[in-house]
Order: sequence, then C-alpha cells, then structure tokens
Amino acid sequence: MKARHLSIIAKNEFRGLFSERTILLAILLQLFIALFSSFLMVGLTSMYDPSSLAKYSRFRYNVAYTGNDSQMLDELSASQDFRVYRMNLSDGVAALKERKLSAVIWVPQTLPDAQEPVKITLYTLQNDLQSAIVDLKLKDIFLHYETDLRTVRAGRLHDAPVPLSIPNVSGGDFYEFVYGLLIPLLVFMPAIIASALVIDLLTEEYQHETLETLISTPVTFAEMVWGKVLACELMVPVQAGAWILLLMINGITIDNAGLILLQVSVTSLILILLGTLTALYYRERTAAQFIFSTALVVVMLLALALPVNPLNLLTRLAVDTAGMEQWIVLGIILGIVLALGLVTHLYAGIVGKSHQDG
Amino acid sequence: MGALRDISTIARWEVKKSFSLMGTNVLPLGIIIFVLLIAVTGFATQSGIHLQDGMYKVGISDQEPASLIAGDTRFAVSAFSGSVPDWQGNSFDLIIISDKVYQRGTEKSRAALRTVARDYAKYVNSVYTREEDLFAAFPLWIEIQPQKSELDFISTQSGHSVTAAPGLQAPVPEGPVVEIPNPSPDLGFTKEELRQELVKTSAANPQISRYTEVLGADNPPGGFKTPSQLSPSLPFDSIILIFVFIFPLYFTSQFFMMSIMNERIERRGEILLSTPMKASSIIIGKMLPYFLGMVAISTGLTLWIQAPLTILLPLVPVIFFFLANSLLIGMLSRSFKELSFLSLFFSTIATMYLFFPSIFANVHVISFISPLTLIVLSLQGTAWTVTDYLYSTSLFWLTGAVLFSVAILNFKDERLFSEKTLLARFREFLSEAISQKQPFLSLILLAGFSIPFVFMVQLLSLVLFFNLPMPYSLVLLVMVAALVEEMAKGVGIYTIYSRDPAFFAWRNVVLASAATATGFLVGEKLLLFVTLAQITESVFGSILFLSLGVLWMPLVLHFTGVLIVSCCLKLGGRGWFAPGLVLAMAVHGLYNLYFILGWFT
Repeated sequence: MKARHLSIIAKNEFRGLFSERTILLAILLQLFIALFSSFLMVGLTSMYDPSSLAKYSRFRYNVAYTGNDSQMLDELSASQDFRVYRMNLSDGVAALKERKLSAVIWVPQTLPDAQEPVKITLYTLQNDLQSAIVDLKLKDIFLHYETDLRTVRAGRLHDAPVPLSIPNVSGGDFYEFVYGLLIPLLVFMPAIIASALVIDLLTEEYQHETLETLISTPVTFAEMVWGKVLACELMVPVQAGAWILLLMINGITIDNAGLILLQVSVTSLILILLGTLTALYYRERTAAQFIFSTALVVVMLLALALPVNPLNLLTRLAVDTAGMEQWIVLGIILGIVLALGLVTHLYAGIVGKSHQDG
Repeated sequence: MGALRDISTIARWEVKKSFSLMGTNVLPLGIIIFVLLIAVTGFATQSGIHLQDGMYKVGISDQEPASLIAGDTRFAVSAFSGSVPDWQGNSFDLIIISDKVYQRGTEKSRAALRTVARDYAKYVNSVYTREEDLFAAFPLWIEIQPQKSELDFISTQSGHSVTAAPGLQAPVPEGPVVEIPNPSPDLGFTKEELRQELVKTSAANPQISRYTEVLGADNPPGGFKTPSQLSPSLPFDSIILIFVFIFPLYFTSQFFMMSIMNERIERRGEILLSTPMKASSIIIGKMLPYFLGMVAISTGLTLWIQAPLTILLPLVPVIFFFLANSLLIGMLSRSFKELSFLSLFFSTIATMYLFFPSIFANVHVISFISPLTLIVLSLQGTAWTVTDYLYSTSLFWLTGAVLFSVAILNFKDERLFSEKTLLARFREFLSEAISQKQPFLSLILLAGFSIPFVFMVQLLSLVLFFNLPMPYSLVLLVMVAALVEEMAKGVGIYTIYSRDPAFFAWRNVVLASAATATGFLVGEKLLLFVTLAQITESVFGSILFLSLGVLWMPLVLHFTGVLIVSCCLKLGGRGWFAPGLVLAMAVHGLYNLYFILGWFT
C-alpha cells in the first residue's frame, strides 16, 4: 500500500465534496443549529428538566385561594411569585378558564394535626406552557406546607432519615443537560455522518460503474478503500472541532478540547470501518444504508449501556473529571479499530481480487 | 383510463423491484440485527444508560452520607480526611463532612449540589414511605383538576402573557359562572393502596418514565400526588409521540429518494422515459407505493397507541410534502453524498418547522402553522375545525403541489442525466418553468406560486424570533421577511437573465419587474384571504404580510424591490445579484418599519 495513492484518493474525494458544495450544506446546518441555540437551550433543557423553566419568569401570577383558611394562605401571600385573591370556588374556576387567573387552590377543613391527610385540590389550565411554570412555583409552596404539617405531626413518626444539611443555592440548571447530553451528542454526530458518508462514497463507485476505471490505474482496490476511509476520517475532527468552537462561542467552556477530538476521531473509526464493510458487502446504497443505520442503533445502545463508554468519556473530558481510564478505553478502542481494520483490509483484498478476475 | 393503467403498472413494478432488492440479501441480516436490537435493549434497561457517569467528584468523610449517593453513578466518590473543606486544587466539586455539604461556588459545583439535593429528597421520601402512620409522613396530598381554557386564539395572539393585568381587586369572570361543588376532603383510598403507589413511583426513573407514561397512561389512583411527586404538566409529552409518527416518514421517504436517484444512475431510467407513458404517470406510479406505505405505517401507529384516526388527516399533507421534497432531492443531487446531505438538511429544517410551533399548542395561534399541533390537540381530545385544518395544512398541500409540478416538468432526459452543479441544475429546473414565448406570464405565475414557500420560510423565522425580546424580534423579522420576499421575486429574474442576458433590454426589465410584482401581490393576497386571516391580525402578521387594505402601495413596493435587483443584474452582471438583494431588502425593510410600525415619525 502506498501513502501517495491513499492521499490521491482522499484528495480526490475532498475535491468532490468541495466542488459539489455539499460540505457547505453541512456547515450551514451546523451554523443554523448553533444560531438558534438559545431556543434549543430553553426548549431542550425544559424537556430534560422541566423545573429549569421556573427561572424564566419573574412575573407575579394571579392565584385564587378558595375554601378554608390555613397556614398556606400566609405562605402564598408572602411569596414574591403570586398575587393571591380570596374567592369562592366557582367564580375562581370561571376566571381561570378566561385566563384571568393562573391557578385556583381549594383547601379543605381538615385540621393540621388531624389523623387524615390534608387534601388540596388544584385547578390549572391543561397543557399550557405558562401553567407549567405556575405549577413549579406552587410546588415550592406545597413542599413548604408539607414540611410544616410534618412538623406538627412529628410525634407520630418513628424513623428519622439520616440528616444532611444542603445549602440553598441557585444556578446550575443547564449544566447537566449541556455537558451530559448536548456536548457528547453534538460532538459525536460527525462520526455518524462520516460513517454514512463512506457508504455513499463506496457504493457510488459500484453504482456509477466508475470502478473499472479506478482499477485500471496503478491504485489497488484496497488502497482505494483506505483512501475513502481516510477522507471520511479527516472530516471528523474538523466537524467536531467546529461544534466545540460554536459551543464555546455560545459561552460554554469546554475543557480538554484536544483530548475530546482525539477520542472522537479514534472512536469514529469503528463506525467508519463498519460502514465500509457494509458497503463492500452490499455494493448498493439503499440496502447498505438501511442495514447500517439499523446496526448503528444496536452499536450505540450497547456502547451507552457499558460503563465508561466513549460518549461518557466525552462528558468526563468536557468537565475535566477524566482520569487514567480514558487511556485504557482509548487502548481498547484502538484494539477494536485494529481488528476491524484488519478485517476490512483482508475483505477489501478479496473483493478487489474478484474484481480483477472479472 | 390509460393514465390510471400506467400508474398501476409503474407502482407494481416499483414494489416488485424494491422487494427483490430487499428480499435476497437484506432480510436475513435485517432479522439478525433486529434480534440483536431486542437483546441490547434488554441489556440497556438492566444496566442503565451510562452517559453521565463520574461527572462530579465528591469527597466524603463519613460512611453514612456516602451510602446516600453511592447509588448515583454521576458521582465519583472518594474519601476525604479533615474537618474543614479543602478543595485540593481541582480534586472535588463537593465535600461532605459529617452531615454538612460544602460547595465551592462554581457552576459545576452548584449543579452537583442540585443533584445531591434531588437524590437526598428521594432518599427521605423512601424512608417516609415505610412509616406506619403514612399520613404523618405524607400529610399533604394534592388533586389536580385540569381545566380547558375556553378563550379563542384571537385574544392570545399578541404574543404576550395571557394573564390579565394585575389589580388589587380579584378578577371577575365575564362569562357565565358554572356552579362547582366543593371537592370532598377524603382521598377515597386506603393507606396501603397509596403506599404501594408511592413505592412504585419512587422506584421509577422520572427522566425516563415521564416519556413512557405518555404511551401507556399509568396515572396514580384518583390522580393524587404528594407535593414532591408534582411534575409540571408540560405540553412536551405529546410531542414525544409526534416523533414516533414523523421519524418513520423520514425513513420511508429515504427509500423513495433512492429509487428516483437509481433511475438516474447510468441512465437506467431511459427505458422508462422512452415508453409512451407521461412523466406524471411515471412519477405518481413510483410514488404511490411509498405514499400508501407511509399511510399504512401511520395508521398502524395510530391504532397501536389507540388514538383517534382523525390524526391521520393532518398527517397526509405532511406525507405529501415529504414525498414532493424527496422527489426533487432525488432528481437534483448528482451523487450519493449530495443526496445524503440534502436530505439531512431538508429533514432538519422540516423538523424545526413541524416541531417548534407545536410546543406552543394551546398557548398561541402561531402553533397552528404546524399540522402537528392538530395531532397534539387530537391526542388531548380537543376538537379542531375545518378552518384550523386549512390554516395549518394548506401551505403543505400547496408547496407539495408546486414541487411536484416542477418535478413533472423536468422529468426528462436532458434534466435527469445532466451533470451540472446543484445551483445550475436548480436554475435549469426553474428555467423549464419559464416559457420562452410567454416570459411575462410565466413570471407572474412563478412569483404567485413562490408565495407558499415564502410564507413557510417567514413563518419559520417568526417562530424562531418569537422568543427574542420585543423590539429585536420585530426588527429582525422585518429584515428577514423582506430578504425572503426579495429573494423569491429575484429568483425568476435571475433565471431569465442567466438564460438570456440579451433579453434584458430596459423595456423588458421594467415589464419583467412589473410582472413579478403583480404575480407576487396577487398570490400573497389570495393565500391570505383563504387561510391566514388569523395570523395577519396580530402585530407580527402585519409585518409579514402587508395589510390587506390598500393595494397600490405594496404593489409599488414589490415593483421597486424587483426593479432594484434587475437593474443590479443588468448593470453589474450576475455578481451583482446578491448586493442587489441586500439593497432591495433594506428598502423593503425600511418601508415596513416606516409604514407599519410608524417608526422615524
């Protein structure tokens, strides 16, 4: 195998990518997503952890308090988040339906130290973004009231939980979502794109019947295959680096960017080689892409179910908690890559020979 | 009749071809992978998803608190000796000494603290669940009574909070008040029934169960919850379902795209084209199996989740739109990689358009621009009207139809097998739609038919900018709307110019601009009258779609915009197209700011 031949093939593929401007589409897409990251951040974070929504609003919501007096009325009145009105239940619910109120609370006659529990009825608007925020703010009030009631009834409790005093701080809502989900997924996306790309590049040679021309040149079949693998592999750190850069521009600090790129690049080789093998076997895009994308789900799910998987390592590297284990994992991955590489090389040799024999 | 026979022949042929392709090679391996998938899914549910393992480093001095967070793999726990917190460089994010938790003020440390607080709350609840006197441990129960808001969209469309202005007086309902009986103070369940429910919900992982609950509604008995069990009634739940519907559609349209592409490889489709069949019959015949397949998949999914079958109604235009785009992508791209990137690009944009607005279902009229909102409403059991249906699906029907007709016009030798660049091919496709004999009439039609696309892009930008603070969102919207309109109008002019620069005599420049402006205005007003009346009445709407009252001013504006672009083309050549667009955008945008918002006065 000659390095010069490899680089010729790889360069040729890059030229193709640039002349078709498809690479522009990919970059445009990245920018597009990054541009709307504020929207993504709010939307996706609240899917991941709804309680983070509550931070978005410093508005005082109108709430109706109906039923009997309780300590909760005082807590609601003292809260900065609510403006409480004493109303009767039917009027309150009617006003709620007209969106003049955000919630209606009904408190029964049950005494704080009664045997039975206190059952509060909460009327809110169904499936509404604003009432989601109101619910969260009310939850705090309810939790407070629950603690109060618990103290009143403390004599009836037997086991006390192990005490742990946790200071009250705000912030840190986005952290887990951004570092534990967004970064590993975005940074790993180029690996998936590259592996789909290698299938396109290989099946194209078969389906456009350009293979004969290629084989008649001094470039061997195996060199052709490796050249394409190389081209796809080189795209990975570039694209992943672009993601890291875009995230950093958005104000997200990422540690160990270099090590992250190293991990992604090496791990992506597994996917790219799997794609290569699928493409060499089917030699037809529809079938190869179908099988590969289904297999990809299996591989990714399996990886995620293993402790210290490569995606987890990306998280650990980004938050700077990765230790020695990253090198062990890298070693294991390199082993898998070498084994897959060997299989690919042998298989490409067999396929190439069969082409030469006609 | 002949056309119908042709269509069914092609459709049968298409089915046979794809089955023979799939059957021989793919099926065995596909089955193996499917079995593996089930096995891996089982393994993953057992071992959990390890994406966030070891994110936080915690130093702990005592055994007891260590056991509290030991089960959470997000923490890497190590021993800490000493009685005052010492961060030892960057070794710890949190330190727990006896029963006190210390944080160091960094974002990461605060995030770790929140996680510890959540874990601890869970632990405390699990201790209380074992209490004999359950109602001493859980003295407060909450019953949620969801209410439907009966306001129509018009009153909530300004984009502001829907709550009325605060006052000292309690709000008084305007409509009739329905008498509501006081809720009973009893739970109606025994202690043990409630205890079991508490144990069950505390065992489930809320991050996962929140989504799985949507599929198999498994509410606690009577809907009672303790305060810590309250999770907000987010509108996102139904949106998870939507992904169940939309992703199979993407997958299937990939096959259609590929089938079209395959006809073009090595001129294989030449045989088809040489038959006396019409291009429309070939395209419809090839599309039919995929269309039916997608409808069948959607029906199956609907039956599976036991949803009303009416949700298929808004899905059909989405399927139609997807197929139209797949057809065009299959016809435009020159290579597989281009196909991959184009389809990726398309599906991202389409997902945004479908997904983002439906987040605001029930909140804002804007949500109705996405047909998915209708699905969300159907799943909730809320009725929608024919007007709503027209409003949210008409753009999909129209753009789908326009794309199909462009594809049918271009389904012939010299277009299918050309090897030019993407943009050149795009221009060729358009050029086919502009007749040589009747260029002005074609321009009128082209401009008119571009309206649905313009609306789609503008509505997408409306949804995206909607979240920005008020003055910025308006200015951005004005500028983007102007740019999109000028681009849509300029495309036809540009196509004619690159086909035949000699055509651009001054007289023709003016006539072509006038034709484009007229077509654009007529198309805009027509579509507005038919569908978008609701959105046009809001302040955002008046920016996107000029007021319906006076007609000559917008006509002059559209004319000026196109004229600027065509003059730039004539004087400066093709390189001046983009600067011309920017100039036209500026004029158009300033006009809008001046007349609609009344700025600079």
